[in-house]
Amino acid sequence: MSARVGYSQRARSGAAQAGSAWLPGSLVWRVALLSVVVVFVQISVVSEVPVFGVSIDLSPLLVAFVGLLCGSTMGAVSGFCVGLLIDLALMQTLGVTSLVFTIVGYWAGRLRELRDPQAALTPLFVGAAAATAAAVGYSIVEFLLGVDAPVSLELLREIVIGVLVDTAVALPFWALVRRCLVGALPDDPRRRRRRAYTTGGLSPLSRSRRADR
Amino acid sequence: MRSQCLSLLALSGGTLFDDVFGRSLLVYDKTVRRRRAVLALLVVLSLILLTAYFGEAPSGGLHSVQRDFLTVVSPIQDGANKALKPVRNLFGWFGSTLKAKSQNAELRKQLDKLRAEYTANQVNEHSYRELLKIDHLDHELSIADYTPVTASVTYQSPNIWYSIITIDKGSSSGVRVNDPVVSGEALIGKVTEVVPDAAQVSLITDSAVEVTAKISATGTIGMVQPEVGAPGKLLMQYLYPASSAAPLPGDYVVTSGTVASHGVSLYPKGIPLGQVTSVNEQSGFTSVQVSPLADLHNLEFVQVLTFSAGSRAAALNSVAANLSPAHPTGSEEEEAQNGEQLASTGGGG
Repeated sequence: MSARVGYSQRARSGAAQAGSAWLPGSLVWRVALLSVVVVFVQISVVSEVPVFGVSIDLSPLLVAFVGLLCGSTMGAVSGFCVGLLIDLALMQTLGVTSLVFTIVGYWAGRLRELRDPQAALTPLFVGAAAATAAAVGYSIVEFLLGVDAPVSLELLREIVIGVLVDTAVALPFWALVRRCLVGALPDDPRRRRRRAYTTGGLSPLSRSRRADR
Repeated sequence: MRSQCLSLLALSGGTLFDDVFGRSLLVYDKTVRRRRAVLALLVVLSLILLTAYFGEAPSGGLHSVQRDFLTVVSPIQDGANKALKPVRNLFGWFGSTLKAKSQNAELRKQLDKLRAEYTANQVNEHSYRELLKIDHLDHELSIADYTPVTASVTYQSPNIWYSIITIDKGSSSGVRVNDPVVSGEALIGKVTEVVPDAAQVSLITDSAVEVTAKISATGTIGMVQPEVGAPGKLLMQYLYPASSAAPLPGDYVVTSGTVASHGVSLYPKGIPLGQVTSVNEQSGFTSVQVSPLADLHNLEFVQVLTFSAGSRAAALNSVAANLSPAHPTGSEEEEAQNGEQLASTGGGG
């Protein structure tokens, strides 16, 4: 019970900190610039290079990683804007990509706010989940809009290969996105932890040993 | 706990909680409300956009915004496309090299076969032209009646649901909506949106495109559409079985030069678009699966077949575009009748 209360308070405190830094200007600019560049590179270059018969789609990865680094609000906003930009540039049905990417960005942001995952492979799983969610979400919206394309093995194969290919580029792309945004992040968990341990603070293990003595 | 705090807050007018925990809780609640409000706003906005766009005509406001956006960003697209071309070529080189070896042997076999066919066809074509002249039937619309405008592909949709590309030539180069687009010698699609310096091309694998075509070996005319649930594949359904000879895998599918419904593109006759890969016979109605001839994933340059005002192509396109939806040559009713006829005769082809 106490652990649950402690976790809840930590999460609330973290959320409050994130809320107090309501979309810092430098971060917004960096995310906006990164989004525009990635969308243009995606549709000018990456889309035209087929890998195993499908194109790598960096846009859901971008949205998920922005959410994972900056929180749910920024994730949702960037998802909406990236989706709108793609729909406008490619003359697709307006709102479809925005809707799907808003949810993907929000979900990634909530993952960070609630769990704060620190494992090195987290971006890989988040990238895979984002690519899957985008593909499935897109398919559902298209079905609802009446596109005559029932589920077939070939369609599923394309979606699965697309997700695998996106997952394969998730880690290097995460490194790129993180490098671009890390200077403007209000509270970088790794930096915070490193600072705590290297400026005289004790790790939880050392602290418990000292208490035992 | 939260509800108690909120009720106390309501009672005291918000002045009761001055301690650290209370202030943190208030900030937390505000953050949560703001976060949920942003999410709800964005989702509702997306749904409004989606509904409005889906319901409006192609000349509607949102479509105009898209066209204006394309007009503004097309020079940027062009620049980005040129600047990033070496990168694309590098990646393309790896992919092409991997594929080249397997394709080489197959293409050599095809070349030998086609060379023999070409020689035979040259003789036949000469005789055919002579006969046409004799019967005064040599006024068919052909690809020579069009002016090809070469354009480079600037954007390609990464989405499997949309088979569209954007090219760097638009209405200022004479490109119009519904103009056929070819790559090499094969049909790849038609123009669906035009702005002064760019145009959107829907590929033949897009659900919005249908082509009236015929199987070159048997002369069977049918409608080629994307195969449902199989991205990148086409399906040709027979409408007019001209001969009893069944198509075989490897037969070429070419444009028939006719239109089957109101407002569609009149593709010039004889442009190859695909090759038969398999023949399906289900419920007495025969269809063939067609694989596009052009590599639609790897388009760099395309040609838009434009025509000048007053030309023969313009006149015929005008006739095709102005066909009355109520009584077209191949209206839905007639197609239904044909379908019934096919069904009653046990399926054509």
